[in-house]
Amino acid sequence: MSDLATAARVVRALGARSIRQTFRRPQLISPIVVFPTLLLAIQTGGASAGVELPGFPPVQSFLQFMLAGAMMQSMMLAGNSGGIAFAVDIEMGFTDRLFAAPIPRFAIVLGRLAGTAALGLFAALWFLAIGLVFGAHIEGAVPGALLAIALVTASALAVGGIGAAIALQSGSASVVQGLFPLVLVVLFLSSAFFPQELMVEPAKTIAEYNPLSFIVEGVREPIISGIDATHTLEAVAAILGIVVLGLVLSARALRHRLRVG
Amino acid sequence: MPAIVVEGLERAFGEVLAVQGIDLQVEEGEIYGFLGPNGAGKTTTVRMLTTLLLPTGGRAAVAGHDVVAEARQVRSSIGVALQEAALDPLMTGRELIRLQATLQGLPPARGRERADGLLERVGLTYAADRRVGTYSGGMQRRLDLAAALVHEPRVLFLDEPTTGLDPVSRKTIWEEVRDLNDEGTTVFLTTQYLEEADQLADNVGIIDSGRIVAEGTPEALKGEVGDPHVELLVGEGAVAEAERVCAGLGKLLPPKDGKRVLLEVANGAADVPRVVRALDEAGIAVESLELVRPSLDDVFVAKTGHHLEKEEARSGDEEPVGA
Amino acid sequence: MEAATAQATAPPAWRANLATIAALMTRAKNELVRVPGAAIPGVLAPTIFFLGLNGVFGALTQLQGFETSSYESFIVPVSMLQGAGFTGAAAGVNLARDYEGGWVDRLLVSPAPRWVLLAGNVLAASLRSLVPATFVLGIAFAIGARWPGLDGLVVCYLMVAATAAVAACWGSMLALRYKSQSAAPLMQAGMMALVLFTPAYAPTELLQPWLEKVAEINPMTQVLEAARQGFVGSVTWADTWPGLVALTGLLAVLGALALREMRRTNV
Repeated sequence: MSDLATAARVVRALGARSIRQTFRRPQLISPIVVFPTLLLAIQTGGASAGVELPGFPPVQSFLQFMLAGAMMQSMMLAGNSGGIAFAVDIEMGFTDRLFAAPIPRFAIVLGRLAGTAALGLFAALWFLAIGLVFGAHIEGAVPGALLAIALVTASALAVGGIGAAIALQSGSASVVQGLFPLVLVVLFLSSAFFPQELMVEPAKTIAEYNPLSFIVEGVREPIISGIDATHTLEAVAAILGIVVLGLVLSARALRHRLRVG
Repeated sequence: MPAIVVEGLERAFGEVLAVQGIDLQVEEGEIYGFLGPNGAGKTTTVRMLTTLLLPTGGRAAVAGHDVVAEARQVRSSIGVALQEAALDPLMTGRELIRLQATLQGLPPARGRERADGLLERVGLTYAADRRVGTYSGGMQRRLDLAAALVHEPRVLFLDEPTTGLDPVSRKTIWEEVRDLNDEGTTVFLTTQYLEEADQLADNVGIIDSGRIVAEGTPEALKGEVGDPHVELLVGEGAVAEAERVCAGLGKLLPPKDGKRVLLEVANGAADVPRVVRALDEAGIAVESLELVRPSLDDVFVAKTGHHLEKEEARSGDEEPVGA
Repeated sequence: MEAATAQATAPPAWRANLATIAALMTRAKNELVRVPGAAIPGVLAPTIFFLGLNGVFGALTQLQGFETSSYESFIVPVSMLQGAGFTGAAAGVNLARDYEGGWVDRLLVSPAPRWVLLAGNVLAASLRSLVPATFVLGIAFAIGARWPGLDGLVVCYLMVAATAAVAACWGSMLALRYKSQSAAPLMQAGMMALVLFTPAYAPTELLQPWLEKVAEINPMTQVLEAARQGFVGSVTWADTWPGLVALTGLLAVLGALALREMRRTNV
């Protein structure tokens, strides 16, 4: 029991540290808040006529439709930022200090993920607030908003695991940073910014099978029409898939890191 | 005409007065050593004299030009090697010196000629076409020095040129500075190393907390301090008792590192036996005893009440005398 | 005697200034040429945005108001200008890094005029911007974008190079003001807003009212329309000169601000 208590304390402390790090450095907080907010404004202002296209789902406004995509973008970039910060810790030797301490190894990774999940939560709240301020309705009301927040936070945890795995494996911040374009690619090849049925090939077909699309739809549905079991379960399944992938990769990468030092 | 004239020079950063109204004068062809601990105001002073920082009070002229009103003319007349050897790791040594030549307005052919000559002078011809990022610390300093000389400046500013270098590299830089001075270049050198100021400088200005506390030739300054002192390393906890015993035998100086008793003695080595006898009679064990002649650190202590550098970095004329 | 000879052989000021600008531009290219893969991020980002936006919003051309049914033709100038914005902002980040490392002191302590030091950085960015622009254009042609004609191409490239110069002035101003790479997000976000708060994704008539108003006063709108004209129709002087005027104005204002910061580094 005391081991669990120690691990929980460590996770809390490292999580708090990673949150403080992010908010103290403009280069880390900017991709999570500034750029997605700018893009939301630009895309909402520039492409909102798209709601007139035949086949566009019934929405109150394009902003209402776009909120889920903005949250996803922020969450993905939070995962990437978290991975970069973790890699910087490895390069600077801070993780060596942690490995040398009498704390469970998994707590070190979980601490970093806790920080990323907290940023995901922040992203969800931020964009929900922006939506409400600029007139978007949450059709699922409070339960719908809570579901959206929970899914975004869980996704952040899942994506953060992938970021942490890459950081542990490579030990290099520039490698993790180099994945930023990949994050954009994954986002564009999903239904984050437009209905999948109205996208242009080959993006349309790729988006149909992209796990991120399932998560986006799970977050979007409670906002534009209300809680739907199918979309929710599909989103949860996609998140679990990424969590499992992240866990496997992180465990292998952690063993690798402990071996090479 | 003096190479550098400074009158009441001041620099404030908000409430903090980093340089508090200093006056100094450096003659043409002189090596002026500007000595002081970290944070004393040396680099701030150099940055004002090299036009990188505007003074907030007073005035200064370098090579006959005011550093504020005639900044461009000052820049044409000076060479600068700052504390951080600001080099581009992606450039080769040769490229860097040629770029410096271009920045100084030299025609391309002349710039190439100077680059080749200077690389040979500082012993970097063999590495001239390698990227600077592959150079050692000593090589980078030599390259930085060569770049500062490309336009044959009248006045050369060196801001802590040997900090972080090994003894061999340090000696190489010293030789180069002496050679430059023999050729007529005025050198303004900041350092935190006593030996460097002692060895190189014709005149030394000692700065502490933004003020010049002493100025003169190294010998004159040391002569001011007066007598040699004895340094005694006594047992754990015995410093206060040892000081009490020694109080009547000479002039006590501030203890060093809390472990050594420092006693100024008027008659040098002749006073050592009675000091040892007195401590022995008081039952105080002396682990080691050294007779130390005045150094610039002693000058600093006399003027400021604290040491310039830590015991382990100290160098001076020491005559170890066994306990 | 030697000083007098040296003075007699010194090149005229204009030639020395040009040589300095050329030397600084040569140095700036080192990062692209000597660091493996350094060019990739600057090329990848606008390319991904181009392909991504085309894949996501391509159906918008079905709406009334679009002059073309080819969304890739409509959007490629946006991505080229975005690339120019990234490149210019990167020049600002590099300057901030140089400042932190002490390199800028080396430049400031030389007798080279401040505007010459700034011009080297800005013109290097301008030239560099042609690399991602050409890459994006190649991809656009590969997926069916319209050939803009030689005149359309020239005007577009001119707009791109000048936009990169604007971005470099903006980035340099921030770099010299804050003297730190932590200003990088502001450099990038500023240019992103300038380029995209325009009829970037759709014609003006289809924008939301607030964005329509912003686009009307944003000088970058004229630049975008000038760059886009060959891809969606024909090139006319009437559609070109407003872009030139807008860029001249932006360069004058941001260039002056950057120069002011360059001159105040010693305060």
